[in-house]
Amino acid sequence: MPGELAAPGLHARRPAGGGIARFLGRRTVLPGLLLIPVLAFFIVWNTIPTLWLLGLSFYRFSLTSGRAPIYAGLLNFQNILNDSGVWLDLSRTLLFVISGVGIQTVLGMLLGLLFWNSQRLPGRRVALTMLFAPMVLTPVASGTFWRLIYDPTFGVLNSILRGIGLPGTNFLGDSSTAFAAVLVVDIWMWTPFMVLMTLAALASVPKAELEAAEIDQLTWWQRLRLVLLFHGKYILMLGILLRTIDSFKTMDLIYNMTFGGPGTTTQLVAITLYRRAFEAFNMGWSSALAVILLLISIAFTATFIFVLHWRDKAEA
Amino acid sequence: MRTTWREHAYHAVLWLVALVFFAPIAWIILSSFKTADQILATPPVLLFRPTLDNYVQLFARESFLHQLFNSLFLSISAVLIAVAVSFLAAFSFSRFKPAGTDFLMFLLLSIRMLPGSAAILPVYLMYVGFGWKDTYAGMILFYAMFSIPFSVWILKGFIDGVSPRFDETGRVNGASWLRIITRTILPQVMPGVIAALIFNFIFVWNEFLFNYIIGGLQTSNVPVALTTGLYSSGGVDWTFISALTSVYLVPPVLVVYFFQRYLLVGMTFGTVRGEV
Repeated sequence: MPGELAAPGLHARRPAGGGIARFLGRRTVLPGLLLIPVLAFFIVWNTIPTLWLLGLSFYRFSLTSGRAPIYAGLLNFQNILNDSGVWLDLSRTLLFVISGVGIQTVLGMLLGLLFWNSQRLPGRRVALTMLFAPMVLTPVASGTFWRLIYDPTFGVLNSILRGIGLPGTNFLGDSSTAFAAVLVVDIWMWTPFMVLMTLAALASVPKAELEAAEIDQLTWWQRLRLVLLFHGKYILMLGILLRTIDSFKTMDLIYNMTFGGPGTTTQLVAITLYRRAFEAFNMGWSSALAVILLLISIAFTATFIFVLHWRDKAEA
Repeated sequence: MRTTWREHAYHAVLWLVALVFFAPIAWIILSSFKTADQILATPPVLLFRPTLDNYVQLFARESFLHQLFNSLFLSISAVLIAVAVSFLAAFSFSRFKPAGTDFLMFLLLSIRMLPGSAAILPVYLMYVGFGWKDTYAGMILFYAMFSIPFSVWILKGFIDGVSPRFDETGRVNGASWLRIITRTILPQVMPGVIAALIFNFIFVWNEFLFNYIIGGLQTSNVPVALTTGLYSSGGVDWTFISALTSVYLVPPVLVVYFFQRYLLVGMTFGTVRGEV
């Protein structure tokens, strides 16, 4: 709109030396103004609740007792650290994260390499949609339906097993197989994510280096190590980290599938907290556990940002 | 001719992989056209007369329509609010770098790294205290808060990629900041806006735990309906679950199909770019 174009005189008022940094550097309320809505959200729905949580973690407080909170110092933390059940749940979560993310990474990288040259695949978009669908399916829904697939009498998996003459197994009901059965569902759901990250990592490799590797007749192992991993390692690391963080949070998937059972064989730490907070309503104890998980999450976040900076530095 | 044969084999293998991953979902959809007896038949039936009864019954449930409406309403409004406020904040972070930008970006991200039950516990206590439980405003604003970190991270990355020369030109020509933000920056970061919209949409759409804990009869969404309606008089109500899941997976799957380009940037907080 011509009316809004600058009068010639405006150029003269431009700070000498110009540059965006210069005139943005002027003291202005705008940066703060733009942040107000997000900060308001952050303070009301994050800072205040987190402080509340932190405070409550020092109190003995149960919603069912009807008594007012009693200051207990570090008692909740002591109780948690001395609770062998919590340690067991934490180590089970660790096992779940390491084995799940490990298998997803290896399988995802192999499938990613397989899909590398798929540009001419007929119906590629449909095929990739089918491959990536497990990631976007509602976790409680997939958890529920896998229960039917695993079912000892009606499940399709046991029908196949019986069909080839193997004994049927109550995968989710048997404490020796439940953990592995849940892990398989997690792998099914999240291997596509590592395929996606591997494809991104492969796409970040310069074409010229691939051609050079071709000319130099590097073996596939040398190519993988010197060319593909050299360029793709940051993206893969970010993928592994995101997966680790997400896997540590696993809750919805298990909720309808086993809800931590049988016994506590599939009880990951997010379920432990859920049970103590929203079934036993032991809020003091649960707040203390939530604070511990918060510290672990902050450590994860710091690692993630460290890798981001590392990549930015390497690419600069 | 040998190369084409090899290519066909290669393509067949790729399709096989895709089908293996899709098989459980295909089984859900297939089951939704079966009767209750057929779903539980041993051995499983592959050939049957498809019935639409499950869908008819599903949509005849008034509670289901209400929950479907809730799912749509909560996810769309929360995501729109979140992306709008995040866009302004991301612009501020990107252009003015106010003191504490890195720290705030870090704090924002750490919200999303926390296990859901730990994140919702203090909010639950607050909502019970203030009487905000099971209110639309309470749910929408909480979901918006949870969608903000993701949106700020994605949008800041995209705005960083737009040269400050554009702002400068606008300023020199006398445009207000509001005009620069909406007319110059926004159109250039549309891919980021779309990525933030659809990935937060999928998140809120699929979200179960928060809704279950701070929601209630009025605001419960479909994942909560699935969990609470799991059992009917004769055990697990598989016809209900399969039909409901088949309906509910349509939007996320369409998103993956139509927005495949944004999948990567969406699932990595905007930290990884590239085509798939």
